[in-house]
Amino acid sequence: MAVANPEVSGVRAPATNGVGKALVKVWRNYALRRVLRAIFVIWVVATAVFFLVRLLPGNPVQVYINSQIAQYGVSYEDAAASARSYFSFDPTTPLIVQYLQYLLGLLHGDLGISIATRGVPVIDVIGRYLPWTLFSVGIGMIISIVVGLLLGMVMAYRRGGVIDHGVTAVGSILHAIPNYIMAIMIVVILGAELGIYDVGAARGTITSGVEPSFSLSFFSDVMYHAQMPILTYVLTTAGTWALVMKSSTTQVLEEDYVMVARARGLGDNRIRGAYVGRNAVLPLVAQIATQAGFVVGGAIFVEQTFQYTGIGASLYAALQTRDYTVLQGILLILTASVVFANLIADLIYSVLDPRIRVGEGEA
Amino acid sequence: MAAPAMSTTHASSPASETPILSVRDLVVRYRTSNKGHVDAVRGVSFDLYPNQSLALVGESGCGKTTLGLGLLRLLPRLGSVPSGSIDYTDGQGKHVDVLKLNRQALRRWRWEEGAMVFQGAMNAFNPVLKIGEQMGDTIKAHADGRKPSQQEITDRSSEMLRGVRLEPKRVLDSYPHELSGGMRQRILIAMALLLDPRLLVLDEPTTALDILTQRAIVDVLAELRAERGFAMIFITHDLSLAAELADRVATMYAGRIIETGSVRDIFNDAHHPYTAGLINAVPPVRGELPTLASIPGSPPSLAKLPTGCAFRDRCQYAVDACATTDPPLDLIEERPLGLSHTAACLRWQDVHSSREVVGADV
Repeated sequence: MAVANPEVSGVRAPATNGVGKALVKVWRNYALRRVLRAIFVIWVVATAVFFLVRLLPGNPVQVYINSQIAQYGVSYEDAAASARSYFSFDPTTPLIVQYLQYLLGLLHGDLGISIATRGVPVIDVIGRYLPWTLFSVGIGMIISIVVGLLLGMVMAYRRGGVIDHGVTAVGSILHAIPNYIMAIMIVVILGAELGIYDVGAARGTITSGVEPSFSLSFFSDVMYHAQMPILTYVLTTAGTWALVMKSSTTQVLEEDYVMVARARGLGDNRIRGAYVGRNAVLPLVAQIATQAGFVVGGAIFVEQTFQYTGIGASLYAALQTRDYTVLQGILLILTASVVFANLIADLIYSVLDPRIRVGEGEA
Repeated sequence: MAAPAMSTTHASSPASETPILSVRDLVVRYRTSNKGHVDAVRGVSFDLYPNQSLALVGESGCGKTTLGLGLLRLLPRLGSVPSGSIDYTDGQGKHVDVLKLNRQALRRWRWEEGAMVFQGAMNAFNPVLKIGEQMGDTIKAHADGRKPSQQEITDRSSEMLRGVRLEPKRVLDSYPHELSGGMRQRILIAMALLLDPRLLVLDEPTTALDILTQRAIVDVLAELRAERGFAMIFITHDLSLAAELADRVATMYAGRIIETGSVRDIFNDAHHPYTAGLINAVPPVRGELPTLASIPGSPPSLAKLPTGCAFRDRCQYAVDACATTDPPLDLIEERPLGLSHTAACLRWQDVHSSREVVGADV
């Protein structure tokens, strides 16, 4: 962990050479420190993903041979020969060589080429499917957070009221339902039983034949396909936000500075926003980032259920064929997005809470 | 009330005959969890005259802070005032029934007429806003719908900060956590005086500060009062502070005022055994250190007060009659402007105490 060393040396004996000084300076800067930490985490994740993927039983060639035998009834020898001609991937290459090649590629921003679908770069797979996932998860999270935080504040201000009791009960139940179960419930209840939406027509991310454009019809088509995943994300997380925000707001309402602000005659809106709201949201920022990770992770199953062709669906497909490079790429991007969300949260945090900035420039 | 941006310093005129604050039989009640209630202030009456400084002294839990909060109607949600009256007379001689003010009028009255310096300067500021913004919030909230310019706000805030001997430029641009406890306490005082109130309630303004900082706060307060002239009620358990800053002292015990008088009368010749006990517990500045007398026992629970005098269990003067009579404040020495010496004790004639208290110029 080379990044941590300058801090230690900087505290004990100030580095004398120029590079050392620069490193110490970098480490002391809050934002840069976060970025360096994020990069380190991504390296750890990349390594872990690389080896974990290879621990899965079977490899791409094996899976291919098995499927050839099962589908066409060819002999093992024939299937193996066909595999040799089909794959440019050789599972007998030493692991360490594969790993170094992979890392070297990563440094160049190269995630490799799909093993199972020859010639398709992994980055293209991700570029094609990830935006849909980010879109649906992002919209879902935004709606969920806005609704949740507002509900939470109302609950805190009217403790013991109808909204408080109602949201607490419903929120606790929804909180306990994982989003993939919720997705199945929506398909079964809204789709199959009540027929409120057409399970078949809503598959995919856009209706085939609709051309991407900045038009209302395109946007409404996109929303039509994304609405059920979004609903799933909102239903499973909004209640949690409301409950967390309620407890945080309740605590802040007891703070002296809120009473003092009232005594000073400040208007209700000013107190609710800058005095209560802002302080109540602070402890939630970190949780929001963590939650973002869970939602993206859960999206794999949710997208599968709705046949929404986002990154989750492609991950599922890659898992079936043991497509190492695609698996690596997608998992890395998913974790990186969580790390990135945490990084953003840290940086937002320092803007929201001046006390965090204290560390900056401190000797 | 003049526009807050205009500095209207009330010259230190001699105290007039009309009290600025007239409190009668004030009761403050807290609801308790088991549907019961406790009276933390049990029928308090006093008059405060303009420019006068009254010290409320007593042990923790005797109702000092509750009384202070009650006067400005700042009680927490479980608190209420079931009976009594608070009559405030403004600069034009107009009477204001504080307990009957509606929400909006109360919002204006507080800080423009009566302001408070709260206990615990650490938590009185919003941690995420700069001091300048918080002072600005206060000015804007009382601007009468007018939008004060940033220049006005800065000028007014700076003036007040200089009044408490702080460097305005630095302070206005700081977050609360960047300032020391003593600075925050001074800023609280500056914030309280921002709109030139005629009444200032201070709750333990020097507690939790080191001795030098305490000194600085006391000096600042004395200076500000001489300059701007406001009536002051300050709550303290520090008798030396009371001796230094107050014209009058009121001792509270179990939610009641049990002795009042001028600083000179109280410290030279206390007639309530409790006040006498408090004074005897303060070490003298000069001479031999005598064995300091503490008051045996602790204050009674307000939920189950004994019959008669609440102090009698701890009182060396107690007689049988004390168990049946809760004595009213008896006049000991008649003086003008609320300075009369009174004590709520059946045997006040037998009680004498005289001790030199730190800083008392008596």
